[in-house]
Amino acid sequence: MTFLLQTLILGALVGGVYALMSSGFTLTFGVMRIINLAHPAMLVLSAYLTWWLWRRTGVDPLLAGVGICVIMYGVGWLLYRAVISRVQRIDPELTLVASFGVAVAAGGIMAFIWGTEVRTATPSYFNTSYEVGSLLIPRAQLFACAGALLLLGALYALLHGTFLGRGIRACATNRDGAALVGIDVDRMMAQTFAIGAATTGFGGAALSVLYQFVPDSHFVWIGRVLCVVILGGLGSFAGVGLGALVLGIGEALTASYFDVRWATAVPYVLIIAILVIRPQGLIRRRLRTDGALP
Amino acid sequence: MSVARLPRLLLAAGVLLVALVPLLTPNTYIQNMLILTFVLAILASGWNVMAGFTGYVSLGHAAFIGVGAYTGGILAAHWEVSPLLVAPLGGVAAALVAFVLGLVTRRTRGAAFVIVSFAMLELLGLITRNWTSLTNGSNGFLMPLPGWDLRFQNWPFYYALLFLLLLSVAMTAGIRRSKLGLGLMAIRDDEVKAEGIGVVTSVYKSIAFMASAVLIGVAGTVYGYYVSFLDTSAMFDISLSMEVVLAALIGGRGTVWGPVLGAFLLQPLTEVTNTTMGGAHAGAFRLVLFGGLIVVVTLLLPRGILPEAQDFLRRRRKTSPTGTRLADSAIPAAPSSPRLEALAGRGGDLLRIGNVSRRFGGVTALDEVSFGVPQGSITALIGPNGSGKTTLFNVVDGTYRAGAGGVEYGGRDISKVGRARRAFLGIGRTYQLPRLFDSLTVLENVAAATGEFRFSRLARSAVSGAEAARAAELLEFVGMGEYVAAKAKDLSYGQRKLVELAQILMLDPAIILLDEPAAGINPTLVKRLAALIRTLNNSGRTFVIVEHDMHFVMSLSDPVVALARGRVIAAGTPAEVCDDPAVLDAYLGDDFVLEADTIGSAR
Repeated sequence: MTFLLQTLILGALVGGVYALMSSGFTLTFGVMRIINLAHPAMLVLSAYLTWWLWRRTGVDPLLAGVGICVIMYGVGWLLYRAVISRVQRIDPELTLVASFGVAVAAGGIMAFIWGTEVRTATPSYFNTSYEVGSLLIPRAQLFACAGALLLLGALYALLHGTFLGRGIRACATNRDGAALVGIDVDRMMAQTFAIGAATTGFGGAALSVLYQFVPDSHFVWIGRVLCVVILGGLGSFAGVGLGALVLGIGEALTASYFDVRWATAVPYVLIIAILVIRPQGLIRRRLRTDGALP
Repeated sequence: MSVARLPRLLLAAGVLLVALVPLLTPNTYIQNMLILTFVLAILASGWNVMAGFTGYVSLGHAAFIGVGAYTGGILAAHWEVSPLLVAPLGGVAAALVAFVLGLVTRRTRGAAFVIVSFAMLELLGLITRNWTSLTNGSNGFLMPLPGWDLRFQNWPFYYALLFLLLLSVAMTAGIRRSKLGLGLMAIRDDEVKAEGIGVVTSVYKSIAFMASAVLIGVAGTVYGYYVSFLDTSAMFDISLSMEVVLAALIGGRGTVWGPVLGAFLLQPLTEVTNTTMGGAHAGAFRLVLFGGLIVVVTLLLPRGILPEAQDFLRRRRKTSPTGTRLADSAIPAAPSSPRLEALAGRGGDLLRIGNVSRRFGGVTALDEVSFGVPQGSITALIGPNGSGKTTLFNVVDGTYRAGAGGVEYGGRDISKVGRARRAFLGIGRTYQLPRLFDSLTVLENVAAATGEFRFSRLARSAVSGAEAARAAELLEFVGMGEYVAAKAKDLSYGQRKLVELAQILMLDPAIILLDEPAAGINPTLVKRLAALIRTLNNSGRTFVIVEHDMHFVMSLSDPVVALARGRVIAAGTPAEVCDDPAVLDAYLGDDFVLEADTIGSAR
């Protein structure tokens, strides 16, 4: 019983981190209908930046992650202006392919800069735990999850409490309508993409502490992020929380009760299963073709 | 003529040259490079059938190489025969995987499919790695050593793969010309519409997916035998998938030779990076180069080399077709119809709507609608916007299932019949905003429609022979005969309506549902359209017309059915319906006066 509870807690903590990692992806899809396969590469880039900063200065990686959000905001804005917006004008269907190209190239660039050795950031609380009764709550996971939830809250407040957020949500529901009432749609798109990228700042920082990574790791993270957003229903914001929880706990249960080697298969099995059985995701009733954010 | 032949001659010379390479030079480096090029070209060519023709972009095609290699390797070891002998079984295994993948597309399309294809690749890689008892896992699987004399170097690999490549190109060319291929391209442009003109999308997609994978699977076994050591991460490799996408993208998606051209351009580049950059940096450099190339190609050459080149040549050769003014030509005789001869003399209602209801969330679009469409009539459906007219069309043609009630056609309940089957039964439907397949020509748009499903018919050529002749005849009938070679996307709104009419006539329909045929087109064309409808009707075809142009409706139709808020509020002759107070109140307005002469001219 303790073992099960322990597994569930670990899964849930990781799930919180997954939720933040996937929120930016689902935001970009919900508002712009873009499957941004470069999103996981940005996660790994953030992980490298965090790790590098931590190695150089000894600053706490998770705290550094908050600052890296700002950098990633800039990276996202640049990527949108330089590539994504242009491809969208030429042929929207190619956006996904182009973003995949960006991801692959980014993997190569990271390998040039940081090499292909396995990295991970190990701050003082790495591999230590709080003991609650007979349960162990690992500090790194707890801090990462708490930070992720805080940032998710901030993102929610941004989307629902500011003019910018209203503009973004308006574009998500009806782009032409938004343009008619005076919203600068192109600016909103750039902002959405940049905000989506910014979420990878802390997501990547958490990654650097909780996981080992190499430049190619972004392929693995494509699987995890896609799994979370598909489980929740592509573009659904609330669904991300549920999807992340299901994946986190699913992976933890598989590793604990079945075989660690198969834990990596969980995202792919879930993706295929959900798209066959319930393509609209766990909580969405129908795949909507227009708006996306709740 | 000689200009048209030139590319063919060049191609033949190129193929011959490639075939002679091993005989001309004993250089194994060149042989090796060409073998790898063949593999990439076979992959890209297969990818093209799924992504270029059918529109399902896959990031998982490398998996078919892995499936083929492991299947062939395991079976060859088990039976102790040469892997070349069991290579076809590698193809069968890959086709089976593709078939299962195709089942997923019954419910997902577009972006979701890309995700599934990626998940398939990763999952199959994981299974191969973890199923150690069968595949030896991450330790790798050892293929037998080639049994032939060393003098022959890699010739068997070389020619086997070259043969598979040529087979793959021949298959692609065959599909491109066939009825099947047109159906696939119709699915790519508008899958929902395709089903409505008789393309049984699930079957078409299954065939396309298996065709896409089968030769890659065979090539996988040969390739695995060639590299002699199967490594899970190299056999299920996402970066190989990326090269496939890139090759097809560079050469031109949806063309026969484009993906092959792309592979022949790309593979030497890989070799150059491998030889000029050593060690760990070579891999990183390749990623930057290929990833960057994908971005550059999507930005600068989004359609690929071949389509751009073809467009360039076409522009130089001639200008786009211009027709005579439509109104000037007379209406030809109605095209013949085997189906109508079978239906002749039945009498009574051809279509019966019985208590049909349909709700969308809280909105009741149709509320116990009942009426009949007499055989041989032109029945009009009028009513304000949002009264349920188009929803009713959607229920009749099978786009929606009726929430309650039933649809009877030719005395048979068709409520449970699928959309394509309804097209086969003789129900044709046009859309308020005409839906054509924009990347196809006018002729191909019409030829894509099919009034029956037979496997033998799928293989039939759609660009020549009987199918094309029939399509041309129908286009001539609607007055679009001079536009056969124009792309659908270049047509005007009115022309699109006429082509869509010709398209559904290809189904040889007994009943034709027209959704606002006269809306948004000029008065001369409206007159012509009315004449066409009358001619078709005189030849025995039944019509149901949704229309707001009252003079158009009243001059053509009898009976008229009026809908409001999802209910039938009146039905009868045009005069009766026009005088009905409920209709005047809900739709026409008190000041509506129907000119007597328009009624007089009916029929």
